[in-house]
Amino acid sequence: MGTSRYDRAITVFSPDGHLFQVEYAQEAVKKGSTAVGVRGLECVVLGVEKKSVAKLQEERTVRKICLLDDHVVMAFAGLTADARILIDRARIECQSHRLNVEDPVTLEYITRHIAELKQRYTQSNGRRPFGISCLIGGFDLDGTPRLYQTEPSGTYHEWKANATGRNAKTVREFLEKYYTTEEVNTEQKTIKLAIRALLEVVQSGGKNLEIAIMRKGQVMQMLDVDTIDKYVKEVEKEKEEEAEKKKQKK
Amino acid sequence: MECLIGIRFNDYVLLAADTVDARSIVVMNHDEEKFCKVSDQVMMAVCGEAGHTDNFSEYIQKNVKLYKMRYTYELSPQATAHFTRRTMAEYLRSSTPYNCNLIVGGYDNVGNKAELFFIDYLASISELPYCAHGYGGYFVLSTMDAHYKPDLPLEEGIKLLKLCIQEIGKRFLVNLPLYKVKLINKDGIQDLPTIQGADLVKYQVRPIGGDASAAPMEIGRA
Amino acid sequence: MALDSLCGFSTSQPAFKGFSSMCTLQNDLDVFTGNFKNNLQLMNPPAAHIPELEAMKVDYKDPLHRERKTPYGFYKTPLGYGPVEVPDVGAVTAPDSGLKIKMAHGTTTLGFKFKGGVIIAVDSRATGGMFIGSQEVKKVIEINDCLLGTMAGGAADCTYWERFLSKQCRLYELRNREKISVAAASKLLANICFHYKGYGLSMGTMIAGWDKRGPGLYYVDDDGRRAPGNLFSVGSGSTYALGVLDGSYKWDLTDEEAQELGRRAIFHATHRDAASGGVVRVYHVKEGGWEKISEVDNDKYWEKYSGDKMPIVIN
Repeated sequence: MGTSRYDRAITVFSPDGHLFQVEYAQEAVKKGSTAVGVRGLECVVLGVEKKSVAKLQEERTVRKICLLDDHVVMAFAGLTADARILIDRARIECQSHRLNVEDPVTLEYITRHIAELKQRYTQSNGRRPFGISCLIGGFDLDGTPRLYQTEPSGTYHEWKANATGRNAKTVREFLEKYYTTEEVNTEQKTIKLAIRALLEVVQSGGKNLEIAIMRKGQVMQMLDVDTIDKYVKEVEKEKEEEAEKKKQKK
Repeated sequence: MECLIGIRFNDYVLLAADTVDARSIVVMNHDEEKFCKVSDQVMMAVCGEAGHTDNFSEYIQKNVKLYKMRYTYELSPQATAHFTRRTMAEYLRSSTPYNCNLIVGGYDNVGNKAELFFIDYLASISELPYCAHGYGGYFVLSTMDAHYKPDLPLEEGIKLLKLCIQEIGKRFLVNLPLYKVKLINKDGIQDLPTIQGADLVKYQVRPIGGDASAAPMEIGRA
Repeated sequence: MALDSLCGFSTSQPAFKGFSSMCTLQNDLDVFTGNFKNNLQLMNPPAAHIPELEAMKVDYKDPLHRERKTPYGFYKTPLGYGPVEVPDVGAVTAPDSGLKIKMAHGTTTLGFKFKGGVIIAVDSRATGGMFIGSQEVKKVIEINDCLLGTMAGGAADCTYWERFLSKQCRLYELRNREKISVAAASKLLANICFHYKGYGLSMGTMIAGWDKRGPGLYYVDDDGRRAPGNLFSVGSGSTYALGVLDGSYKWDLTDEEAQELGRRAIFHATHRDAASGGVVRVYHVKEGGWEKISEVDNDKYWEKYSGDKMPIVIN
């Protein structure tokens, strides 16, 4: 039997204090396509890797970035089917909140709501944790840009920039290296940073990326393939130039 | 006591609602908003029991918004009206029925037409060119029967609405001094200038004991 | 289960929900977002899950306790299209409504917004029928540093629910790390009132405060009605108070003028309305919080106000 007993009921700790099912859910996230979020000075950019669409598949049905409310956008990595449930719940809560207190949700509120839900699924029988990690971005009522992340365990944190999904560590290290306030003080720069970060681990090309921008008081915008391609080319050109410089130094 | 009026023309809808919020014999509020913006193209005017009106219309509003968030497109005015009716019907058969009456006006951007729906608290619905809720209807349905043409331009439409509102001001016992007016067309929803109920100054009385053939005297002006 | 009926621990309550029914998602949706599916379920009445107490409650199938006139609705209505007879706004308190409980609500309270914030002024008399129960009731409830509520109607209902509101506001603050808005606070109270609509609650309140949007004033009553506005007066003496207020109210009053207007309106109302009296309390809500301006017995004002008449201004 060994550890397998602790696997069965997720409400049971292993002797060394692990909840295996929750950890497995985190593994599922690590298998998901990479998602990146960057909080700019006046915008929030979310980007995900888009898996190649099958030849006969309708492309519009494959989306990993979605709106929760007019001012809240979410990207996720992990099991898409699980995400759908969570998204629907969050959308209901957004409207419910408006109905009850006449204000739109704050980003922290909706993140907490999602995290609470995830936590609940780690502590009761007959359920399994959500196999997704969410990046939630948007604006509070007072106009502050926010970026949050939640994990299958139900923890949540605020970030300046973060990544989740496959190779999240590489991307996060990249962001840690390059994120400065100057780097995100315009919209273009913020988008570029997000794309650069994604390109660290994603095959190059606009059709492999999905990028969403939230601006203060405006509706979310999904970048079209041509625009993304433009950014991608720019990034690649810079990379080549840098490589060239390094060569010359040698 | 309240009064809602809706008129639908070929490419726009006009909704008017009085602005009085009364409790017992006291008017609590003179600029009550009896409209509820359901979506970019649909507006609802609501009257009825206090508490019920706001509660019901906001509930519909948030559900329609939720629909948009879920499916990325909005409910058509017709769908909105029927969703409203259905909700009303379900509550009617519960222990907590809503007691409010509505007029739903909207512009259908897909079918390119203006639509107007009349819904009452018994959850009946009908698509109509013009309708009214409250006692006001007793006075102005005939006015609209006599003057309405579906192809009236906006200025004429507003004139018809003014005619109705002034008739209510003149003949209805209860004082409803001000009406808010909304215009719904292909560009969405717009506020139009408020319309004044009866202007007392205009009504004339004969001097006491005066000759019946003598010119009437104006009242209200010193 | 004994525990069931005694403590109200019921399997249909979210907190004590049985595991067996937790598997389905729809179930979850219904339980945790119940207020969205049916916003009448915002808050369960205390006795909802205790059968013994439930039985003691008034007949909630006919919440207004009057005979039904038609099989479905409450009001005689022509079927089909055309104008519908809209219920009289005074229906609930009308003499023929057959209400079983009739509470005395003698009070005068008022509140108005002006350029310097919000003024709240109230009297302090409590009556029960012909009897003056107290001359020193606090009819302004200090919900928190930035929010005030007034009470008119049933003293118990107002005190209880506004204290309840106070608790909810504090919890909101702790959870969300920001002060609750006046709109949200008043909506909480209105939702409670709406939920208990027809159960005999008696309260007419104003919620005043200052939040990130500036000064706020809302009227909330037992019908579940909630309205924002610049000037309200509630209670049996409200018509008298309005008679003074409407004559002199304008947006550009100075702080002193506004406080004096509120004080004077309450004084004149207590003079005419037998059910109002006692102390005139004036509060001023400013940016950053409310301030108690004065708390003086009516008698002290008599000489001053009867001698010093207000100027007549026609706009």
